Amino acid sequence: MESLKEDLKKQIIEQLNLEDLQVSDIDDDSLLFSADGVGLDSIDALELIVLMEKFYGIQVTNPEEGKDAFLTINTMADYIEKNRN
Amino acid sequence: MAVRITGLGIISAIGLTVAENLFSLENSRSGIAPVKYLDSKNDFLVGEVKCSNAELLGYLNIKSQPVSRTSLLGLAAAREAWGRNRHTPELRTGFISATSVGGMDTTERFYKDYLDQNNPDYAVLRCHDSGNTTERIAAELGITGYINTLSTACSSGANAIMLGARLIEQGKLDRVLVGGTDALTNFTINGFRSLMIYDDQWCRPFDESRTGLNLGEGAAFLLLESDKSARISGNPTICCLSGWANAADAYHQTASSPEGTGATMAIQNAIEVSGLSALDISYVNAHGTGTKNNDLSESTAMINVFGDNIPDFSSTKPFTGHTLAAAGAIEAVFSALAIQKGLIFPNLNFNTPIAETGLVPITELQKDQPVVAVLSNSFGFGGNNSSLVFSVNR
Amino acid sequence: MSFITACCQISEEACAVNGNVIVRKDEQSADSWFKQLYKELALDYPKFYKMDMLAQAGFLASEFIKKAFPELVSSYADDEIALLFANSESSSDTDIRFKESFQKRKSPSPSLFVYTLPNIVLGELAIRNKFYGENMFAVFPKFAPEFFLQYGSVMLATGSKAVLAGWLNILKGKVEVSVFLIEENKADGLPFNKENIIKCVGLADQA
Repeated sequence: MESLKEDLKKQIIEQLNLEDLQVSDIDDDSLLFSADGVGLDSIDALELIVLMEKFYGIQVTNPEEGKDAFLTINTMADYIEKNRN
Repeated sequence: MAVRITGLGIISAIGLTVAENLFSLENSRSGIAPVKYLDSKNDFLVGEVKCSNAELLGYLNIKSQPVSRTSLLGLAAAREAWGRNRHTPELRTGFISATSVGGMDTTERFYKDYLDQNNPDYAVLRCHDSGNTTERIAAELGITGYINTLSTACSSGANAIMLGARLIEQGKLDRVLVGGTDALTNFTINGFRSLMIYDDQWCRPFDESRTGLNLGEGAAFLLLESDKSARISGNPTICCLSGWANAADAYHQTASSPEGTGATMAIQNAIEVSGLSALDISYVNAHGTGTKNNDLSESTAMINVFGDNIPDFSSTKPFTGHTLAAAGAIEAVFSALAIQKGLIFPNLNFNTPIAETGLVPITELQKDQPVVAVLSNSFGFGGNNSSLVFSVNR
Repeated sequence: MSFITACCQISEEACAVNGNVIVRKDEQSADSWFKQLYKELALDYPKFYKMDMLAQAGFLASEFIKKAFPELVSSYADDEIALLFANSESSSDTDIRFKESFQKRKSPSPSLFVYTLPNIVLGELAIRNKFYGENMFAVFPKFAPEFFLQYGSVMLATGSKAVLAGWLNILKGKVEVSVFLIEENKADGLPFNKENIIKCVGLADQA
């Protein structure tokens, strides 16, 4: 699980072109879509959907569904664990 | 002061002329159907103009190639709006056209040939530039004075109309043909699909179940004239363009603010410029794309401005599809027709109001209505929001 | 009469406010130069990391001006400050990165695509500061001081009380950033004229 979270952070930094950020800058429970957290927005949510399919083979067809799953690194990791075959 | 509207021209998924469009609006005939004319691998629902490029070339009697579909559509509508007007040194005439894709349709064909190493015709790339679309139409019409191209995403058409009105108001031009044109392209369809706001069913503006838009194509132009110009041309006034405004959200690069900040300002300022009050608005032709974000934001803005007295409103995009830079102009023509014919057009495909706002659009054609003033909204990416007010000529 | 009341310049190795160097690039740091500047500002605005370098450049320079003169921005209504920016490289730096990401990933990146227009930096400044005033971004073959003078004067004559202006060129490691504030009726600055615009931007050789 810990390595999954680490991978996720790396993938988010790469997929969202956040080169200035390091893995250590993102906490497991910081809110990804909050201005006080990582500050992502609806465009980034689309990138996360692409990321889920590309790296984990998970298809998120409804952007609304992603809202709960993409709350934090922790919830993303849980979502991947549950939906990965 | 008001600016006179004396000519209308339109080509869209619901008809090749003003008369055909009106007929479809009156009979609730949508032009949205699976892809037929665009070279696409998929059968997405789109609002295509029901003509191939070859048919358009024949219809318009255009010999000189290459020419983009965007130019051809624009030319059809511009010619209809220009009608039998004549050039005269007495009147300074301008042409302002909006487009978001320019000649992208020709570039897509070029690109395919280029990748396949199939003898690509580099000359077609001249059509790519947005300005080329405008210049081609202006040249066909013989307009050589002030020529400008606007590209501000989905508010482009409304902004072209607003710029024309301001040039007349400032005395820089006597008359100006304003509007917008956009052909359907794979570029735009795929772009909106990547944003996950493209509906694979018919778009459902202002409905709780809405999940996105259907793209369309088309063009519309309006002839705006000053009092002096109308006197010299002798053209009767269809209605007046009396208010206009543009405002930004300062919220996000692409999304509209959920509070409808910019939209509220655009509507309020346009009504203020018109000298009318919010209570005078008989009908709102909404932007109403069918996306979650736009329709909520626009509903909130209408509540902010009109409170409990929300005028009759509808989105006509379920007829035409979202025609991007042409949308503001196409809906300006519909607004002028609403005033001229006393009609309020239905919002097709509506069932359930949005939970947060509860607003219910007009769903059946309303005839013999005293339509004295129409507000038309066009809200673009980046919170580029424009509103226009049309009113009866008094 | 209008005056240039503050200016911030950022080059590849230093950042200066009103001519005084306040930060020099730490070559040993693991952080990029712009991240070093962001940390220097001690702000909590994670959206910074999502911006392309052009938007970051405008953001950083305007924040350094605000930090040095906190009252400058707060003394105007939200539609009284106009934005007037220009450059000669448009958004080429990001356009190239977008093209490369497309080639590598075989699918376009929406978050990069957003920045393939130079005027997005104006959007970022408007979003950050809730500016609702006029704005303009122009692309020229080379630095054009007359443009800032003429267009800035028009903005000040038509309702704007202040203009935040900037020349921002970012391309493949080149950093040529200057942001300056023009205000009306503030005698404690440099007169708003061509000479002083050239001085603020520091591109006398190009003008």
